[in-house]
Amino acid sequence: MWEQQVAFWVIAVAMAGAAIGVVRANNVVHAALFLIVVFAGSAAQYILLLAEFVAWVQVLIYIGAIIVLFLFGVMLTRAPMREERGKLDNSQRLASAVVALFLFGVLAVFLIDAFGGTELRFRDSMVEVGSAASVGDSIFRQFVIPFEVVSMLLLAALVGAVALARRD
Amino acid sequence: MGTPYFDYHALAPVIVLAAVALLALVVDFVWKDGGRRAVPQIAGIGMLLALIPVFTLAADGETRVMFGGAFVVDNYALAFAGFFLIVGYVAVLLSYDYIDEGDYYRGEYYVLLLTSVLGMVVLASARDLITIFVAIETVTLPTFVLAGWRKHDIRSNEAAIKYFIIGVLSSAVMLYGMSLIFGLSNSTLLSEIGSVAGGDNPALFAVAIFLTLAGFAFKVSAVPFHFWAPDTYQGAPLPVTAFLSVASKAAGFVAMLSVVALGFFASPNSWQPVIWVLAAASIVVGNLAALRQTDVVRMLAYSSVAQGGFILVPLAVSGDNDAARAGFQGVLVYILIYAAMNMGAFACVIANARRTRSTEIQSFSGLGRSNPAMAVVFTVFLFSLAGIPPFAGWFAKFVMFRAVLDAGTTAAVVLGVLAAVFSVVAFFYYGTVIRRMWFHAAVDLGDTGSPRVPGALVAAMAITTTVVVVIGVYPQLFAKIGDLAFRAT
Amino acid sequence: MIPILGADPLFRDGIDGTVVLIVIVKTIIVFTVLLVAVMFYVWFMRKVIADMQNRIGPQRAGPFGVLQTLADGIKLFFKEQSSPECADPPVFRLAPYLAIIPAFMAFAIVPIGGLVPVAGRQTYLQLADPGVGVLWLLMMSGIGLYGVMLAGWASGSKYPLLGSVRASAQLLSYEAALGLAVVGVLVHSGSLSTRTIVDQQAWTGIGSIVSQWYWLPAIGAFVIFCISAIAETNHPPFDLVEAEQELVGGFHTEYTGIRFAIFFLAEFMNVITMSAIAVTLFLGGPAGPALGFLAADSWVNVWVMPVFWFTVKLLVLLYATVWIRATLPRLRYDQLMALGWKYLIELAFLWAMISGVVVVGAREGWNRWVTVPAAVAGAGIVLAVLWACLPRRGEPVEEIR
Repeated sequence: MWEQQVAFWVIAVAMAGAAIGVVRANNVVHAALFLIVVFAGSAAQYILLLAEFVAWVQVLIYIGAIIVLFLFGVMLTRAPMREERGKLDNSQRLASAVVALFLFGVLAVFLIDAFGGTELRFRDSMVEVGSAASVGDSIFRQFVIPFEVVSMLLLAALVGAVALARRD
Repeated sequence: MGTPYFDYHALAPVIVLAAVALLALVVDFVWKDGGRRAVPQIAGIGMLLALIPVFTLAADGETRVMFGGAFVVDNYALAFAGFFLIVGYVAVLLSYDYIDEGDYYRGEYYVLLLTSVLGMVVLASARDLITIFVAIETVTLPTFVLAGWRKHDIRSNEAAIKYFIIGVLSSAVMLYGMSLIFGLSNSTLLSEIGSVAGGDNPALFAVAIFLTLAGFAFKVSAVPFHFWAPDTYQGAPLPVTAFLSVASKAAGFVAMLSVVALGFFASPNSWQPVIWVLAAASIVVGNLAALRQTDVVRMLAYSSVAQGGFILVPLAVSGDNDAARAGFQGVLVYILIYAAMNMGAFACVIANARRTRSTEIQSFSGLGRSNPAMAVVFTVFLFSLAGIPPFAGWFAKFVMFRAVLDAGTTAAVVLGVLAAVFSVVAFFYYGTVIRRMWFHAAVDLGDTGSPRVPGALVAAMAITTTVVVVIGVYPQLFAKIGDLAFRAT
Repeated sequence: MIPILGADPLFRDGIDGTVVLIVIVKTIIVFTVLLVAVMFYVWFMRKVIADMQNRIGPQRAGPFGVLQTLADGIKLFFKEQSSPECADPPVFRLAPYLAIIPAFMAFAIVPIGGLVPVAGRQTYLQLADPGVGVLWLLMMSGIGLYGVMLAGWASGSKYPLLGSVRASAQLLSYEAALGLAVVGVLVHSGSLSTRTIVDQQAWTGIGSIVSQWYWLPAIGAFVIFCISAIAETNHPPFDLVEAEQELVGGFHTEYTGIRFAIFFLAEFMNVITMSAIAVTLFLGGPAGPALGFLAADSWVNVWVMPVFWFTVKLLVLLYATVWIRATLPRLRYDQLMALGWKYLIELAFLWAMISGVVVVGAREGWNRWVTVPAAVAGAGIVLAVLWACLPRRGEPVEEIR
């Protein structure tokens, strides 16, 4: 199944490039657009793993709602709309680059050590696991407590957001 | 696959809290005028109501396991659930007048407080990574908002933003670690992670544990992940600070304790050095920084960082099986005692801030003359924090050192010596405040508020003082709880 | 072999040249038909509205003015394309495609007909049948939002920006109601796949209109779906996005030529797609009586009749949209938001809950005369609380620092 490995690497490289684009973009909206590419790439990786439901939900929630809200926020607030070179930069870029490279190196070494040589393989059982029915099953059986707690969490987030944002 | 097994008795504390939170929200909306008086009462009574099933479950004594071990109600969970509910109740008492007089949103405040406590109660029973993560987010997310509750105070905004960004960052780090652990052990259940313990990849497992613990270390503001704490504590409304420094910090410790005791325990080389460094750094930096503070809230913030280091000491030495029990008990007992004395200290700070509109240490000058009762109470808490008998703090320090001696390794002894030295250093900054209260004349601060200490604050002080004095004199009570909690494990 | 492509029997025996060819032909046909359909829909709309307003409407190009849209398209194609000085060029050029592509893609999951034999294979008259079909629709309407949003932002001009802010808030709000309304059907169907949903609404006689099709069991969801779908397509009376009197042209004010034409196309294509989805979810899709005097497997009954019934239902809904367009005045913005957030979302939630109780009750054999009233009563209590929470008119708003 070499096609799967090739697809994985193509998507992974595109995601990494887009992720760098997010950080390097001088314009908030462009950064958000790069972020969309990253999310779309991760959805594509889910498809490669045959996790169909999770993939579409990833698109639906992250691209269809979160980034939209993000852009909405950018448009409503007085964030700089036009390109302002240097505004989104800060003086610690060297330090952050060093830290990022160090972290990348450490994780890369250990991850390659642990998972190097592992290949993506289609298995029939993966389809079953990735389907909406089985995801729903595990949410509402095994993980029903976290699910219900998340609903309280989201309610609290909603209440808190209204309380903070409300004009008084 | 049938319907999953639900033990409603075991879930009752959580259900009661959720119901009370929703009720408070609806009452606040529907009953416009009476609601503002009723909601704090509902929140307080709700916390106590949720305690009832905790007691009945404890009396029952049976360990209840649900969802294949993802949610367990045993003595350990009940001890912490009860503890969190009592702390939540005290937090409601502390907030009552502060929020009432400050002209803030009331209903929403208590709803967020209740949700946060709900997360803590779930956390006490959580035995798998997903539940732990969701619970810990439920604990922290409402507090992000609460820290910024004084919307028109730029310090409060700063507090909320700093806390939020650091909190989210730490969640991301923690989640990354957890995902690696899941990838290695193929399970989110702590018990199964424990039995795999890295398997063929101990190196990556150690990295994953490090990332997870770093996330928790942010939550408990252990050095070097403590930078947000002083600014957030100072900027947030004082009752929220009290809640943050006790309850949400304790929640972080509980998560850490669960994960270490039940998940990573079998591979001590991966987690013990991390916690050792966190503990040592917190003790040193926290105590030294606290020495230089002129604001009592910042002083207490650094003191809580240092106390967090002390709490980590028993955990850091509990690596081998002989020392484990004493170590885990030490953590639990220290958390319970720390909560009582720190909550009490904040009650005094709030009462004093009502009087003087200031949290500077010099605003405590002459308190011994103007309000001797409060000065006595505050002195008790500060003595206790410093670890001076006969107040509860000494027993907390005692169980810590006992754990160190039980372990007996070189690393443990070094940490023990460090803790001993800096316990002495801590006398100085706690002593400064005490000296101010008793041996300095009052400083005129101009605009002064009401000297009266409201009933709710008095109640909070009474509860915490009782705990601190009773446990100081009769420490077997908490020792017994600690003993029971770890009997099963 | 690759079940992720859906339940289409076409893929059951592996993929070879013929299968690929069939898929490509299907794609081209859907693409073309959709384009032509938009052309006719625009003409149909203008004619019907003209009729309702006692005008003649387009009449010059072709018989009855049928080719008017085509003429407009050709004209736009040859117009100059300008772009404002402050525009963000790459995003400005990208936006129209972000609007049109999802409009096409959403149509891919609509079953137009049943199982047909092609070149020795069996295949559905449907471009794709992913296992999570209905999510695909929500996903595409989510992505379609980007076209509108980015067009307004990238124009670097205030009216388009205002238009796109309005649009994004409106589309986001109504997408929630739309998704929850779809849940009202999913509770009954137990599947996300559009093919399964359509199969469950198969024609079994005239009674199946009320007994099989989901519009009656999910009547609440149907009403909410229709309202949200109209809002989701920026169709009047929810066309605040392009309110001419306030915003010049809305998000596409700065667009000219073919790029404008693409937005225009996307907008009407969305109306057609949404109507087609409504037919699929609530009106049985291609289900309808076959011609009894012909054999069941004759080409008329296999190819023509399902497509015919689908088209008839689609035309009925499209006529309704035109009717609404001609009749209702535009809402005010706060009315729009209040309708979405204070009414539709709550009602859709409650409807999904009631449906859940009814469906589970039927499966578990609970007494229907107890469960249904109990569910309705529960929903009524929730509604009463919600109603009590709404601020009254004229009530002073609480002042809090």
